[in-house]
Amino acid sequence: MSGALRTVSIRNLAAHRVRLLLTVVSVLLGTAFVAGSFVFTDTLKGSFDKIFATVDQGVDARVQPRQSYDPGVPNALVARIRAVPGVRAVEVHAGAPVVLVDSHGKKVQPGGAPSEGGLWTSGTDSVGPVPAFASGRAPTGPGQVVINEGAAKKGKLKTGDHAKVVLPNDGVIDVNVVGVYRTDAETGGYIGVLFSRQQALALFTDGEHVGSLDIAAGPGVSGKELAARIAPTLPSTLEVRTGTQARADDQGGIQTALSFINYILLAFGFIALIVGTFIIYNTFSMIVAQRLRELALLRAIGAGRAQVRRSVLVEAGIIGVIGSGLGLAGGVGLAYGLHALLDAFDLGLPAGGLVLSPRTVIVALLVGTGVTLLSANAPARRAGKIPPVAAMREEFASMQAGSLRKRSIIGAAVTALGVLATFGGVLAGSGGSAASLIGIGLLGVAAGAMFLSPVLAGVIITPLGKIVGRPFGAIGQLARTNAVRNPRRTAATAFALTLGLLLVSGIAVIGSSVKASINKTFDNNVSADFILTTQSEVSVPIQAAAAAAKVRGIASTTELHFLSTLVDGKHVGGTGVDGPLAPVLQVELKHGGGQPTGHDLLASETFAKDQHWTIGSMHTFAIPGRAAISETVTGIYADSQLLGPWLVSGDVYRALTPRHEWADEVTLIKARPGADLAALRTGLERATNDYYVVTVKNRAEFKGQLASQINGLIGLIYALLALAIIIAILGIVNTLALSVVERRREIGMLRAVGMQRKQVRRMIYVESLLIAVFGALLGLGLGLVYGPLFTRTLRGQGLDSLSVPWGQALTFLVVAAVVGVLAALWPGSRAARTRPLEAITAS
Amino acid sequence: MTDVRTASPAVSSLVVASAADIVKLYGSGDTAVRALDGVSIEVLRGEFTAIMGPSGSGKSTLMHCLAGLDTVTSGSVSIGEVELSGLSDKKMTALRRDRIGFVFQSFNLVPTLTALENITLPIAIAGRKPDQTWLDTVVTTLGLTDRLHHRPSELSGGQQQRVAVGRALASRPEIIFGDEPTGNLDSRSSGEVMGILRRSVDELGQTVVMVTHDARAAGYADRVLFLADGRIVDELRAPTADTVLDRMKELER
Repeated sequence: MSGALRTVSIRNLAAHRVRLLLTVVSVLLGTAFVAGSFVFTDTLKGSFDKIFATVDQGVDARVQPRQSYDPGVPNALVARIRAVPGVRAVEVHAGAPVVLVDSHGKKVQPGGAPSEGGLWTSGTDSVGPVPAFASGRAPTGPGQVVINEGAAKKGKLKTGDHAKVVLPNDGVIDVNVVGVYRTDAETGGYIGVLFSRQQALALFTDGEHVGSLDIAAGPGVSGKELAARIAPTLPSTLEVRTGTQARADDQGGIQTALSFINYILLAFGFIALIVGTFIIYNTFSMIVAQRLRELALLRAIGAGRAQVRRSVLVEAGIIGVIGSGLGLAGGVGLAYGLHALLDAFDLGLPAGGLVLSPRTVIVALLVGTGVTLLSANAPARRAGKIPPVAAMREEFASMQAGSLRKRSIIGAAVTALGVLATFGGVLAGSGGSAASLIGIGLLGVAAGAMFLSPVLAGVIITPLGKIVGRPFGAIGQLARTNAVRNPRRTAATAFALTLGLLLVSGIAVIGSSVKASINKTFDNNVSADFILTTQSEVSVPIQAAAAAAKVRGIASTTELHFLSTLVDGKHVGGTGVDGPLAPVLQVELKHGGGQPTGHDLLASETFAKDQHWTIGSMHTFAIPGRAAISETVTGIYADSQLLGPWLVSGDVYRALTPRHEWADEVTLIKARPGADLAALRTGLERATNDYYVVTVKNRAEFKGQLASQINGLIGLIYALLALAIIIAILGIVNTLALSVVERRREIGMLRAVGMQRKQVRRMIYVESLLIAVFGALLGLGLGLVYGPLFTRTLRGQGLDSLSVPWGQALTFLVVAAVVGVLAALWPGSRAARTRPLEAITAS
Repeated sequence: MTDVRTASPAVSSLVVASAADIVKLYGSGDTAVRALDGVSIEVLRGEFTAIMGPSGSGKSTLMHCLAGLDTVTSGSVSIGEVELSGLSDKKMTALRRDRIGFVFQSFNLVPTLTALENITLPIAIAGRKPDQTWLDTVVTTLGLTDRLHHRPSELSGGQQQRVAVGRALASRPEIIFGDEPTGNLDSRSSGEVMGILRRSVDELGQTVVMVTHDARAAGYADRVLFLADGRIVDELRAPTADTVLDRMKELER
């Protein structure tokens, strides 16, 4: 019997290909995201691993500073380590971000990849194989560089060409490209500019320290042994790692960065699967409803409940396996597409074949099939409960699902808990615990909304449908009543959009608030007329600030430097300032004076409170092995995003920062009263033009630059959420297509009594639009409540303005409505093709 | 109105629907089935016609072709002055909407609409307002005044079919087609529904054509056409259930 039932299940699938296709697609999408996220991160990890394997080839030990602020490896140590028995070669590393400028004076863009200057290591010092030259030779004197092949291609540079390199401290230096080298160890867009040893040390070190040392052992000496021999020669600020450890360190760093991407993609896989669950549940509910007579017949001729239930689950299992198998393939495609897309944006991903690990295959298949079976479980149980008599009796044909009461009670309870947690979060004010409470609250309210949405569907769609459907008359009325005919189904269909729009609108609120806060901070605090910044990894060269200061019409220039140092033994970053603050920054002073000179120290209110700093207290600013400076607190200012926790003079900055790293974070410029700002701007641009990386911005443009960075981030999230919306569309298509099949007879009747094809289509469009707008409204409602609540918890991070982007919210709603109509196109035309005779002949 | 029933068939303006030598083939080649094999029929205004015949005789096909629900392979079908063959789907739909009423075997009401909304549905689809006086007349005839705001699921089968008849009558069509209208009803409900159809002919001047295999239902008609193997084989005027049964028995012999 069960064999026969299995045959029935399989024949059923084969007979309803459209239905099969739609369900498979919904399983496919969820698994594709899960599989895609694994494949994508595995692929990147594989590529990076390969890069590090190349970069770190031959490294048996590495000597490096323990802390990022430590000055590096003293020069004298290089000779001592070279003398350690068993050391074959010592490779010195020193480098910094640089900007390469081609022969025509144009920046060579690295995209998202590093663009760095470094040191060419000759054969005898090199621990690994020396890169081969595509053309030319190694740099031997000042002004000679070799560049990697990728950079040469991008900058249309070849051996013998002149180029320029921009450095933060040394400004612009002219170079001759004497060679182009080949390396496997580069990500797309990577720019490597290697100088002769002598010049590299001059440009990238303080003259006393180098960045790190890679060491190769002689024959018969292991990395471990080598490290053990080197260790006693090192001061406490340095550590030695074996080659294996060094490689693991490098790979570990990438792993951490990649796991972030992995989590984001998995989160979308998760959303896709939740949404998929609704689609699968809907599909199987409808399949069971449509096959009611057939299933009842099976029962009548002797199939047991469990057998009927199992036959539905077998169908689900087959769909699950096919869907997740295809999803796996889709995931590989997704990863490939994502990689290609990011490559097109030049984000500096390494090249490399896709990695499909067994883990990915197993997880995708298990998750896809599991979710399908789980979603089909309730409909399958319902199928088992069909009484045999339903085969003969008409009234069972419209067997109603149980009442919504139990579901609504659960929904109300979960919602109440969510609201409670939310209130707790609101009372907790700002910070992490408030955010997590509100997060839990949101989870509860969203889950509650899911349970309540069949009831909400009736409450919202009926009045909404009366407004939207009015111009369509009877068609509108039919559409409205159809949309709420099966509230569970409508709710499950709409919930995909609810989730999508909840996230989108919430993020929109936070993003818009961040922008508003930045604008407010900026407007309230910055009174500079022009700002010099860069949009590359190189900060504003100090020469550029000096050149700008000479432009006519300038009253003052103020340079802000970022200083990373140990304050009373603790690592904290702050600001160093050269030039007068008062004309360009409105610093609200709580105590003491405002402009640090000499060994003055100013602290922000919060920082001073946390550290128990008061006017007159003394604190040590130190970099071990470089300098230690005693500073006295002379002022306390209201918290400022621009200045950070503390502020010292430029002299302190220079004492604690190695000379080759001196640079301006930003340069703020105040014009003389009555100066011609347009002329001044031209002057500034001319003066800084030679530094390539520097851009001159007025206040509005600077704000725009900040806003566009945030927009970019939000844009990325939107792009990913767009995928969730695509699934939502598929869900609507699926539900409508199945509803149309289910209502074929009714539509046939409508056609028979005179409904035009056009009107049938319109009826389906309006129904779909109502479902979509309902889902969107629910999501927007939640997003517009929780967006501001989350924004509120971020007050401590300077997010002190709330801005709700109503225009955007309205756009989302319109998009949802359009999505609804688009999703109805195919089901609508299918419905319109229903022949009037089907009212009579369809059974 | 009673005089219409005895009027001469030659008066063409009194012909509401007609079919001339229609042939309907299903399939092609060797497997082709001749569902209708040269049928000609005229339906006069105010006349109640029943079409009977054994299963597979082509009686349903004939009605579908007459009502513009199905197309003929050859021959011509007209509703009033309008020749149906070659009519676009749009025009055909409008014709069904404005000039034809349907009563189906399985009621086919929209479950989400009330009885009244179902009755006025074709008028609403056309975007028109119902004629209130006429609607009142129809509703009174149906005997459903107190059930108008109920949903189909709250009505008995007989009541649902009465609503369906109301829907067919509401737009004052030139002709109503019934497809086994009593097929799903018990005998009492059948009697009620047939009574209403009869009254719609006698009192409201309607024209009705119905397919049935129920001799008692056919007894309500003015004439009965008997079909066998796709041809009209007999006609009975002023039938009773008994005369219809006798004729059926003869045909089956």
